[in-house]
Amino acid sequence: MTTISSAIQSTLFDTPNSLPYPVVRKRDGSYTPFSLERISQAIYKAGRAAGIDDFAYAGQVTALVTAKFLGQEETCVTEVQDLIENELMAGQNKAIARAYIEYRHDRDKARERSSKLNREIQGLVEQSNAELLNENANKDARVIPTQRDLLAGIIAKHYAKQYLLPKDVVVAHESGDLHYHDLDYAPFFPMFNCMLVDLEGMLTRGFKMGNAEIEPPKSIATATAVTAQIIAQVASHIYGGTTINRIDEALAPYVTASYEKHLATGKEWGVPDAEAYARKLTEKECYDAFQSLEYEVNTLHTSNGQTPFVTLGFGLGESWESRLIQMSILKNRIRGLGRQNKTPVFPKLVFAIKEGLNRKAGDPNYDIKQIALECASKRMYPDILNYDQTVAVTGSFKYPMGCRSFLGQYCDDNGEVHEGRNNLGVVSLNLPRIALEAKGNEARFFDILDQRLMLARKALDTRIARLQEVRARVAPILYMEGACGVRLKPDDTIAELFKNGRASISLGYIGLHETINALYGDEKHLFDSDTLRDKAIGIIKVLKQAVTQWKEETGYGFSLYSTPSENLCDRFCRLDLKKFGQILGVTDKGYYTNSFHLDVEKKVNPYDKLDFECVYPPIANGGFICYGEYPNMQHNLEALEAIWDYSYDKAPYYGTNTPIDECYECNFTGEFECTSSGFTCPSCGNNDPARVSVTRRVCGYLGNPDSRPFNAGKQEEVKRRIKHL
Amino acid sequence: MNYHRYIDLDVINGPGNRCTLFVSGCEHKCPGCYNASTWPADSGHPFTDAEADRIIDDLQDTRIIRRGLSLSGGDPLFPGNCEEVLKLVRRVKTECPGKDIWLWTGYRLENLSPAQKAVLEYVDVLVDGPFVQAKRDPSLLFRGSSNQRILDLTAEHQLAESA
Ligand SMILES: [Zn+2]
Repeated sequence: MTTISSAIQSTLFDTPNSLPYPVVRKRDGSYTPFSLERISQAIYKAGRAAGIDDFAYAGQVTALVTAKFLGQEETCVTEVQDLIENELMAGQNKAIARAYIEYRHDRDKARERSSKLNREIQGLVEQSNAELLNENANKDARVIPTQRDLLAGIIAKHYAKQYLLPKDVVVAHESGDLHYHDLDYAPFFPMFNCMLVDLEGMLTRGFKMGNAEIEPPKSIATATAVTAQIIAQVASHIYGGTTINRIDEALAPYVTASYEKHLATGKEWGVPDAEAYARKLTEKECYDAFQSLEYEVNTLHTSNGQTPFVTLGFGLGESWESRLIQMSILKNRIRGLGRQNKTPVFPKLVFAIKEGLNRKAGDPNYDIKQIALECASKRMYPDILNYDQTVAVTGSFKYPMGCRSFLGQYCDDNGEVHEGRNNLGVVSLNLPRIALEAKGNEARFFDILDQRLMLARKALDTRIARLQEVRARVAPILYMEGACGVRLKPDDTIAELFKNGRASISLGYIGLHETINALYGDEKHLFDSDTLRDKAIGIIKVLKQAVTQWKEETGYGFSLYSTPSENLCDRFCRLDLKKFGQILGVTDKGYYTNSFHLDVEKKVNPYDKLDFECVYPPIANGGFICYGEYPNMQHNLEALEAIWDYSYDKAPYYGTNTPIDECYECNFTGEFECTSSGFTCPSCGNNDPARVSVTRRVCGYLGNPDSRPFNAGKQEEVKRRIKHL
Repeated sequence: MNYHRYIDLDVINGPGNRCTLFVSGCEHKCPGCYNASTWPADSGHPFTDAEADRIIDDLQDTRIIRRGLSLSGGDPLFPGNCEEVLKLVRRVKTECPGKDIWLWTGYRLENLSPAQKAVLEYVDVLVDGPFVQAKRDPSLLFRGSSNQRILDLTAEHQLAESA
């Protein structure tokens, strides 16, 4: 059989390949003999790609090219390709020239990508890629499991860009027009973002985990132990946050079980006041159970190489059991973790406040709100979730998934459903870039925004598409054992679970503040101008219109999400600085502001900040959080309560940032100095991460930047934060 | 009277949300004072009716509810300040019912002049005594050194009223 190349060889190159051609230096520096065959093959293939099957022409051009090299001692690949290109361009068949140039371009791209892949792996191996290592404040990239996860992430990302995602989406992501979040997990893996675990369903019906059948627990201690196991499993199968919705109510039956067990023991032993005895033992057991849960969560390492992003939502339960759980969670948090009573950053605590239940003095759970205030003043968490606003803004009451993702309302045949629902992922737009490209022209801004929205939609569609044919067996804990609220068979598809708004899928955005500056100049601060405020709201409304339309078109729960800019604040700004240069009030600070948030440098009181920000959650109701920066409030819970109460009618979800850093050298507690290089005790200058505890809010979560540094943009943003009181 | 700084919403100097006024003028000149720049009575800015009106407005605000007014300095009971401060606290008590007044002074309650005592009739909580560097304790609430006292005067006012 005659191959194409040998055919070319035999028909066109009777002359032996022994003329004095140069030796060719390859890209990696090694040398290879000059090959007429390879040149002719490349030209012939280019012809075929253009629909022209012509050996003879390939031979002619090869002859012209090779003639130019006669007598030369050495050349390189690029030079050879340049000459081929020139000869083809000069020749009569331009279509072949074009095909060759395209082929060359694609090869260059592919080469660039694979060398980038190698560089990234090298950066991980040598621990030199700061961007990768600091990307997630919750991941310790120095430990092996995390490194394995990061390696998988590098490759998953590479593969997705190369083979799974549409080219225009990849280009837009790489250039920073938009951000396809969590590319290191999805779409390579058929994973989704974050969820509300159906804990109640799992515990009451039992489930299988690995090889073990888990029975419904018979005490609160067992129930929290099982909960920790569930959290670990779930968090290994999703890449975003794991939330236990209404944990004080879901676990209440197991407090009852403990009480009854203790009561029976008391009676059996003839304890005089068996009820009081049982209550006492149950209280102790419940407190210890939640202490264990907190320890479990903080010692767990999921297969994602990190402490799981867990959120506990609680506060609405009214029974003795629920109240006990609420108090146990708060009192454990107030106590702190370990011998030094450190502030844990996980689980995140979200405490619900409700009129008539715990908001005002005289309400049955008002005492627990007081404990929550103390806890927030000492440990920053809990953040609060205001019942009425949450219902008004999101359609029903439920805690956030992860740090700030909110589901909309969804009903099945039995009514409203929250447990087991999830978010499919986020794609965020770089709004400041659009404003910079529009050069202050508003109409142009909205034109470009429309184009970017179409691209973002295309990107989000890939997330839905990726889960279409996936079977339940890829994540038994989610789909077969009840975490998603269903018990599917291994070969059942999961696609139905995400339809009709049961799951959300989110368009995100960042840098509204910089967008306004880029569009209208920074002479007038957004905060100080009603006109600019209206403009800013107008932009977010356009985003909202888009997701509403997408939802109507597809039935999928498209939602608008106010992206926490942990990495993006740094990445988008860095790319735009490169592209547009230093622009005052836009690219000059090294970070972009979190979603709709007020510029961190603007000095306003927290009440005015809330008024400024509270208009956004009702529009961006797929994800949001508002917060204020406070001084130490441990001795002024009354003032802290005043702002919580104020927020009740303003915003669904509110967090208070207070300085709770601790120095184990000099016992200073308060706020460490934040410099570009790290955090230092203001009292003794100590900055040894092992001897300090520094806690800052990173996105919706807290982080310990002393032990795991923020990226440069985030560090700069934290440095510039101004107290609102 | 001159003043140094007015904080319309303060959560550090006293309980709850407060309005806090730092007046100029202090004759104690305690070593280690954290506000030494406020010692000269002519430092800062003149305290006029406009400033007083602003304080009353803020205390009457129904959106951000203040618990009361904190007077610090300098020393609000510095002899040159007493007349103006008396005017202010009297206005607060008549125009802003329910708002409390905290006052920080370097004098001791026992040694006050009649003019200074006249001010105290309208003050709910007095933090008194000079700052003593040797007795400095940063962990103390609302005080700089342990010799200073937090005195609740409301009980005394009630006694005076019933007598
Ligand atoms: Zn220290």
